[in-house]
Amino acid sequence: MTSSSTSSRKNLSKIASNRLQKELVEWQINPPAGFNYKVSDNLQRWVIEVIGAPGTLYANETYKLQVDFPEHYPMEAPQVIFMNPAPMHPHIYSNGHICLDILYDSWSPAMTVSSVCISILSMLSSSPAKQRPEDNDRYVKNCRNGRSPKETRWWFHDDKV
Amino acid sequence: MDSDDMHDANDVESLDDDFYSGETEDAPMDDYSDDYDDDNNNNNNNDADDDYFDDGADDSAQSRSTEINFAILKESDIRDRQEDDISSVATVLSIPPVAASILLRHYNWNVSNVNDAWFADEDRVRRKVGLLEKPVYENPDAKELTCGICFEAYRPSKIHNASCGHPYCFSCWGGYIGTSINDGPGCLMLRCPDPACGAAVDQDMINLLASAEDKQKYDRYLIRSYIEDNKKTKWCPAPGCEHAVNFDAGGENYDVSCLCSYSFCWNCTEEAHRPVDCGTVSKWILKNSAESENMNWILANSKPCPKCKRPIEKNQGCMHMTCTPPCKFEFCWLCLGAWSDHGERTGGFYACNRYEAAKQEGVYDETEKRREMAKNSLERYTHYYERWASNQSSRQKALADLHQMQTVHMEKLSDTQCQPESQLKFITEAWLQIVECRRVLKWTYAYGYYLAEHEHAKKQFFEYLQGEAESGLERLHQCAEKELQVFLSAEGPSKEFNDFRTKLAGLTSVTKNFFENLVRALENGLCDVDSNGAATSKATSSKNAAGSSKGKSGRGKGTKATVSSRLTDDNEWSCEQCTYANVGSATACAMCNQERQ
Ligand SMILES: [Zn+2]
Ligand SMILES: [Zn+2]
Ligand SMILES: [Zn+2]
Ligand SMILES: [Zn+2]
Ligand SMILES: [Zn+2]
Ligand SMILES: [Zn+2]
Ligand SMILES: [Zn+2]
Repeated sequence: MTSSSTSSRKNLSKIASNRLQKELVEWQINPPAGFNYKVSDNLQRWVIEVIGAPGTLYANETYKLQVDFPEHYPMEAPQVIFMNPAPMHPHIYSNGHICLDILYDSWSPAMTVSSVCISILSMLSSSPAKQRPEDNDRYVKNCRNGRSPKETRWWFHDDKV
Repeated sequence: MDSDDMHDANDVESLDDDFYSGETEDAPMDDYSDDYDDDNNNNNNNDADDDYFDDGADDSAQSRSTEINFAILKESDIRDRQEDDISSVATVLSIPPVAASILLRHYNWNVSNVNDAWFADEDRVRRKVGLLEKPVYENPDAKELTCGICFEAYRPSKIHNASCGHPYCFSCWGGYIGTSINDGPGCLMLRCPDPACGAAVDQDMINLLASAEDKQKYDRYLIRSYIEDNKKTKWCPAPGCEHAVNFDAGGENYDVSCLCSYSFCWNCTEEAHRPVDCGTVSKWILKNSAESENMNWILANSKPCPKCKRPIEKNQGCMHMTCTPPCKFEFCWLCLGAWSDHGERTGGFYACNRYEAAKQEGVYDETEKRREMAKNSLERYTHYYERWASNQSSRQKALADLHQMQTVHMEKLSDTQCQPESQLKFITEAWLQIVECRRVLKWTYAYGYYLAEHEHAKKQFFEYLQGEAESGLERLHQCAEKELQVFLSAEGPSKEFNDFRTKLAGLTSVTKNFFENLVRALENGLCDVDSNGAATSKATSSKNAAGSSKGKSGRGKGTKATVSSRLTDDNEWSCEQCTYANVGSATACAMCNQERQ
C-alpha cells in the first residue's frame, strides 16, 4: 500500500473526508491517552501533540506530530513525521522521519490516526537510549530536497525497540 | 594498460583451474539426478557405443543427450496444469479449490509439499496461510453493521467478510483489493484489512469484489506465480514469446528448445550452449563485456582483402570469401589465408581455428618479456573471440537464410524443378543443421579459450576435432549457400539437381553425426586423451567420444594431431592415422574412419 507523493497534495476524496470526519468525532469523544489535538479548519493536516509517557526516557517531554492525509486515505497511508525538534530515538531521524512499518508497507485501511498515534507512543516508550539511527546523517542528506518518507524504501529496524 | 593485461594473463590461469576442478559451479545436479545412478549412466554410454559403429546410421546419437526431459507449455496448458494441481490438493485435503489455491501459492505450487505440511500439522498450516475454520469476530445480530474502513453503517447484505468475520462494505473491499492488485503480485497473498487478523482473501472474494480490469490483472499474476514460483517451470526467455517450459528431473542435458524455435539452457537461461557448461558461459560473457571496447572492431563486417587491400564486406554465412573482380582472390575470413590452403582440396589440415602464440625465445629482458606476455594474452583472447563472434554472426545469417528459404525460395524451387515441396525438405534440414552447428562451433571457441594451456595432448586433440568440425561445416554451408544458388536462378529442371540432393543430404547427415559426437566428446572433458597415460576409470567409461567423418579417407598429409601414447588395456587400440583410442570391438577408427591396421 504505497502511494505517490503527489497524491498527498491533492484534495481529499469524498470517501476520505467522510472517514476523517468520523475519526475526528471519535477522537473528540475518546482521545488516545498522551495526545492533544486542537481541531483546525484543515482536515487534511493534523498537528498532534505527544507527551512522553511517565516512567520512560521521554517523560514530561512534548513533541509534535504532523499527519498529512492523501487523496485516497485510508486506502493509502497518511504521511506521519515529527516536527522539529524530533525526539532522539534509534528509529527517528533528525528530520522527523519515522521508521515504523505500519506507516508504509504494513499500513491497513482498518488503522486510524488514533491507532497510529498509539503505536508511535509505544515505540517511544520502549526506547532504551536517546540516540539517532546509525545512518541518520546519510539518510537526512539524501532527503534534503523535501522528499517524503513514503518514497523511501524502508528497511525496518528490528522491532525490539 | 600493461598491468591490466597482465592481470588478465593471470586470470586465465586461475579460470582454467576452476574449469577442471570439478562440477561445483554447475547446477545443483543432485536435484535432477535421482533416477540416474552410476550404473544407469554406464549402460547408457555403452548403448551409445554400440549405436555408434552402426555404419552411417543417421540417428546414432540416440542417448541420454537427446532424450526429451522437458515440455513446452502454451497458456492453455499452463491453466490446465494449474487447475489440475488445485483440484488434486482440494480433493486430497477435502477443502474448497480457492483454499487449495492459497495453500499452493504459499508452498510454491508444490503439491506434495502442501500435502506433507498439511498432514504434519494442519492447525499450524491454517494459521500460517490464513485459512480459518471459524470466524474470530462475531457480527452482532443487528439490523446494521459498521464497516471497519469507512465506519459507515450498512445493512448486513451490503457487508462482506473473509473467513474471520471482520465486516467491511463492498465499496471498501473494492478499494482495498484494487489498491493491492495495483501494487503488484503481493495481492496473491492478500489478508483481511484488520491489522491483527491475517485471514486470507481468496479468489472467490476477488471475483465478487474487484473490478473487471483488476480481476484480469489478478488472473495474470496467478498464472505468472504458477510458472515463476514453481521450481520446475520457467518462461521462455525469447522476447515476445509467451510459452513456458516444464523441465523434468533426470539426465544431464539442460538444453531446451521452445515452440518459438529459440533454444536455451534451462539451468542458466542463456542461449543453448552445449558442449560448454554454464560456468564457462558466464565467465565468457563476463570476459566479453569487460573487453567489449577492445573487441568492437571484430564485429565490423569488413576486412581488407589480403591481396589487393580493398575492403571486403562479409555478406555470406560461410567463411570462404571471394574478392570482387578483377582481384577475385579467394581467402578465409578467419585467418585471411588463401582459401586454396584450406580444406581437403590440397589434403591440407584445416588449421585456422588454432592459436599459435608467437614463440620467440631467448633474448628478451624481463620487462620486454612481460610486455610480450601481456600482448599475447589479449591476442589470444582476440583469436578466440573473433571466431566465436564470426560463428555467431554466421548463425544469424543462416537463420535469416533459412527463413528466406522457407518463405520464398521453396515454392519457386518446387516450381522450376518440378518437385513437390515435400521432396525439398533436405534443403531446410541442411539449413537447420547449419544453424545448430554454428551454435556448437561458436561455443567450442569459448571451450578452447578456457582449455588449460599446459594440457598439450588435450589441446591438440581438441584443435584437431574443432578443425575438422570447422572444415566439415564449411563444406556443408558452402554447398547449401553457393551450390544451391545455381538452381535458384535456373529457368527449368536441371539434371544435376538430384546429384545436388545426394550431396547436400549426405553432407548434412555426416556433419550432424560429427557434431553430435563432438559435443559428447567435449562434454566428457576430452577424457579419452590422458596425457599421463594413466588408464583412469574415467577414460574407459567414455568411449563414446568420437566423430565419424565419412568420405574423408583421402585426407592424409598435413599436420596430424599427436596424442601422447597412453596405457591401453588389451582391447583398446590406437588409430594409426589420428591416434584416437578406439574400443576393442571397433574395426575402423571412430574418429577418422581409418581401417584398423
Ligand atoms: Zn479479519
Ligand atoms: Zn466501508
Ligand atoms: Zn519461446
Ligand atoms: Zn547454462
Ligand atoms: Zn582482392
Ligand atoms: Zn582460414
Ligand atoms: Zn583415426
